[in-house]
Amino acid sequence: MVKVYVNNNEVEVSQDALVIDAVEKAGYEVPTLCYLKGLFNEATCRICVVKVNGKVVPSCRFPVFEGARIIVDDSELRRLRRVNLELLLATHEIKCWSCVRKGMCELLSLSKRLGVEGIPVCSECPLRGRSCLVLKGFPCLGPLTVAGCDAECPRRGSPCIGCRGYIMSEDVWVRALEEFYKDNVSLNELKSLISFFWSYLPQNLYRLVREVSNVEY
Amino acid sequence: MYYEQSRTYLRTPQSGAVLDPRRYLSVVDRVICKYGADRSKLINMLQEIQREFQHLPRQALEMLSVKLGISLSEIINVATFYHQFRLEPVGVYVIQVCFGTTCYLKGSSEIYESMRKVLGLRERENTARDGTITIEKARCFGCCSLAPVIMVTSSDGSERYVHGRLNVSEGKRVVLDYRSKALMKLKGLKNE
Amino acid sequence: MSEALELGSGTRKISELIVRVPLASCTLAAGASKVLESIEKALGKLGLEARVKKTGCMGLCYLDPWIELESRGLPPTIYANVKPEQAEGIIRRYVEGDLSGALAVRSEASGFKGVPTLNSLPEWRLQVRYVSRNCGFIDPESIEDYLRTGGYSGLKKALKLGREEVIEIVRKSGLRGRGGAGFPTWYKWRVAYEQRSDVKYVICNGDEGDPGAFMNRLLAESDPHRVLEGLIIAGYAIGASRGYIFVRAEKPLMADRLEVAVRQARDYGFLGEKILGTDFSFDVEVYRSAGAFVCGEETALIAAIEGRSRPRQRPPYPATSGLWGKPTVINNVETLAHVATIFQTGLDEFTKYGTERSKGTKMFCVTGSVRKTGVYEVPIGTKIRTLVYELAGGPPDGRSVKAVQVGGPSGGCIPADLLDLELDYETLQSYGAIMGSGGLVVIDNTNCMVDVAKYFITFTLAESCGKCLPCRVGVKVLGDILEKVASGTATLEDLELLRELGESIMRSSLCALGGTAPNPVLSTLRYFKNEYEEHVVMRRCPAKVCSRLVTYEIDPARCRGCGQCAKNCPVSAISGQPGKAFKIDTSRCTKCGQCLIICPFGAVVKG
Repeated sequence: MVKVYVNNNEVEVSQDALVIDAVEKAGYEVPTLCYLKGLFNEATCRICVVKVNGKVVPSCRFPVFEGARIIVDDSELRRLRRVNLELLLATHEIKCWSCVRKGMCELLSLSKRLGVEGIPVCSECPLRGRSCLVLKGFPCLGPLTVAGCDAECPRRGSPCIGCRGYIMSEDVWVRALEEFYKDNVSLNELKSLISFFWSYLPQNLYRLVREVSNVEY
Repeated sequence: MYYEQSRTYLRTPQSGAVLDPRRYLSVVDRVICKYGADRSKLINMLQEIQREFQHLPRQALEMLSVKLGISLSEIINVATFYHQFRLEPVGVYVIQVCFGTTCYLKGSSEIYESMRKVLGLRERENTARDGTITIEKARCFGCCSLAPVIMVTSSDGSERYVHGRLNVSEGKRVVLDYRSKALMKLKGLKNE
Repeated sequence: MSEALELGSGTRKISELIVRVPLASCTLAAGASKVLESIEKALGKLGLEARVKKTGCMGLCYLDPWIELESRGLPPTIYANVKPEQAEGIIRRYVEGDLSGALAVRSEASGFKGVPTLNSLPEWRLQVRYVSRNCGFIDPESIEDYLRTGGYSGLKKALKLGREEVIEIVRKSGLRGRGGAGFPTWYKWRVAYEQRSDVKYVICNGDEGDPGAFMNRLLAESDPHRVLEGLIIAGYAIGASRGYIFVRAEKPLMADRLEVAVRQARDYGFLGEKILGTDFSFDVEVYRSAGAFVCGEETALIAAIEGRSRPRQRPPYPATSGLWGKPTVINNVETLAHVATIFQTGLDEFTKYGTERSKGTKMFCVTGSVRKTGVYEVPIGTKIRTLVYELAGGPPDGRSVKAVQVGGPSGGCIPADLLDLELDYETLQSYGAIMGSGGLVVIDNTNCMVDVAKYFITFTLAESCGKCLPCRVGVKVLGDILEKVASGTATLEDLELLRELGESIMRSSLCALGGTAPNPVLSTLRYFKNEYEEHVVMRRCPAKVCSRLVTYEIDPARCRGCGQCAKNCPVSAISGQPGKAFKIDTSRCTKCGQCLIICPFGAVVKG
């Protein structure tokens, strides 16, 4: 048995335990993504990083040692986790409106937890397939607004108006605009909705919408 | 970006000439006889196969995967990870343009682009359509005093030339020289 | 062995004339094999009985191909940049005692007939040839040559000592790893020595993937036995039974020479069962890897030998659980050469050079915009300025040094006003670079720092194994942002993002590749922020490198009106009549740069 300190709380764990075991034993929780206890701990996603004696290490792989001082959460760790999740979302083809996971998605719950805005309202929306509002031709902003509201409006049958703001990622916008175009949602109809945050749109998104829609402000 | 490479490799059918399957089998058998059915010698086996065919033919890798009892994707994982391995067949001459720091700073990327232009290569294409020349980017050769430098190897490994202190127009001339040389060789093969 | 010594000195007396021709990858590329042919022809023609000796390279690459002539009554003389057709004349004149055209003579005393001594040349005088002492002097494929210069005496000394004493000597020497971070060599040895295991391994890391660094290749090609001797000593110290020398298949000559050395050492009883009558048995295999930059990382190197790819998370460190789960020590080629030399010459000879914290000498490759490209061995703590200006001769006329890139793709750029920094591990680290394997690339005013950063990021992106997220995606995003900067579509927030993202990648990556990959970006951003800002705010590339930010013009004086550019312009922005100077319509030009590449007369200029 070795003694380690998790956020200054003393914990005793067995010799061959991992940092994550010690953290869990102390009653704290580390967000994980690629880690599957006992099956997979190649430490590839780097979401579960913690600090051991000041060094950033993946808790799912790092072994404990006597007197290790583990910090589970601080501003830098939160930033690192957030950046890594954002990077993951950057390569993720976000098409929540047609995704098979139907919102039961670890990425979504993790981004909610870490405060990463990258997943659209569609991920939480129960109206999938044929009942999707966009598919029906309604100007619903779901594909490009930030999730977290549990899709209150689409759930009740009215299009999303984007209360929580838009997603900054260009890729999401490209895919969303494609979806609108495919389903004959006229951008002129969307215009009034988009104008809700029109003046805050960064240059690249502004240019993108202009290119696709010829919508002039 | 090797995973993209492996993905396209798995999806697309074999490009280039397809030989008699018995030829692949004999090479694979010989390689396995030499190294034993040992997973840890995979890199050496692939090196041997490449020496035979100048690239790693899909059929040979499939046979290797069956014989070694490991999945094809695992073999391709290794094959795409290391620079030495080529998945596409090469031309008669392989021109490697050094992209070491010194060569890059002295303009090797312009030479590379102009050489591709001379051969009329399209994006993602490395070998001229007549099968004469393959142009590749290469890691530092360690001849930085000759920068920018290119190395030309014939695909059977019998000839090797180094050209140093190049500029764009000399680079173009070198490509055309080797192209006519390669055409002669190809012609000779046909006549035989 | 004593027989061999006598035999060696015997042959020396017989031959009247000795011709040394360097045969290493670099000199061969410069045409040394043709020079060798012409020398043999010339000797036959002149009727001279001479011994042609194939040596390694002495590291002064700008002299390639050089030859050295030695004869009784005349000092050994070095001729630089020899062309095959000159060989006959040089030999004839030398035999007649006429040394005109020679670069230098290798003698202790003053010059000879107006030819300076090698020691009077600054690029030789300022060097301390400690591990590279034999490079370019002995025949790398002859163990007798190595034995004559005191070879394997270090191994004999080490084998008389206990294992702990050997480690103690390395500890006292203060030798640090010459391959990168400067980890104390003795510490790895000690940890591996203390492991209880029936099988242990030592690996010599000769992968050397850094572009612009080739000192390991040069050392192993020119003096392979020194590396091998160091490896055997390391094997003895930790109690290993097997060693590997890890070489890239792309460096065939290096692998061949090491294989020859291993064979010869086996014949002489330095390898195999019960070495030199002790109960220490050890054998070495040269492993030809298929080449990947990440193999410089210890765990990836081990994975390559095991037939896999990709590094893994440390700990456990290789010293406790490495190759096939056994304790493994991995040392760089140069480190092992240092070990052998320390045991040959004694501690004092080594510790008298260097700084308080890092002892000894280090080989540096100085390339890029300098007159005398080459490998220079200098004491650690030498100023960058000395290396760049006095040894390598500074930039060519009309250029000025803008920065020095130290440590390859994991290193950083040191700006020109910090050239008085001393080259040692800690100083470089505190200024955002690393010593790495010791490659110095001199960047001049015609190079754009954004482009340099982009180059290194493209390199690391292609080399990233793709296992962990920050390196796989993060480096790609860094590259995308740099591309935006280089094409003038970035904003000032992007620069801030670049810095923040770079720091995150460094903190949370799995291995050293990702942990150092953002270094080139962060260091250029730190010292050349104004250049980045000029790209972003003014949309201008001061060095006229970033093709999207320059304007293209046709110089009417050079244009012959062939019309090639107009034919190839994708947007038909070039117009004119055949035979007369063409013109580029800058409002339609998309700055693709095709015309510049296509123009046969170099008439297209960047403005």
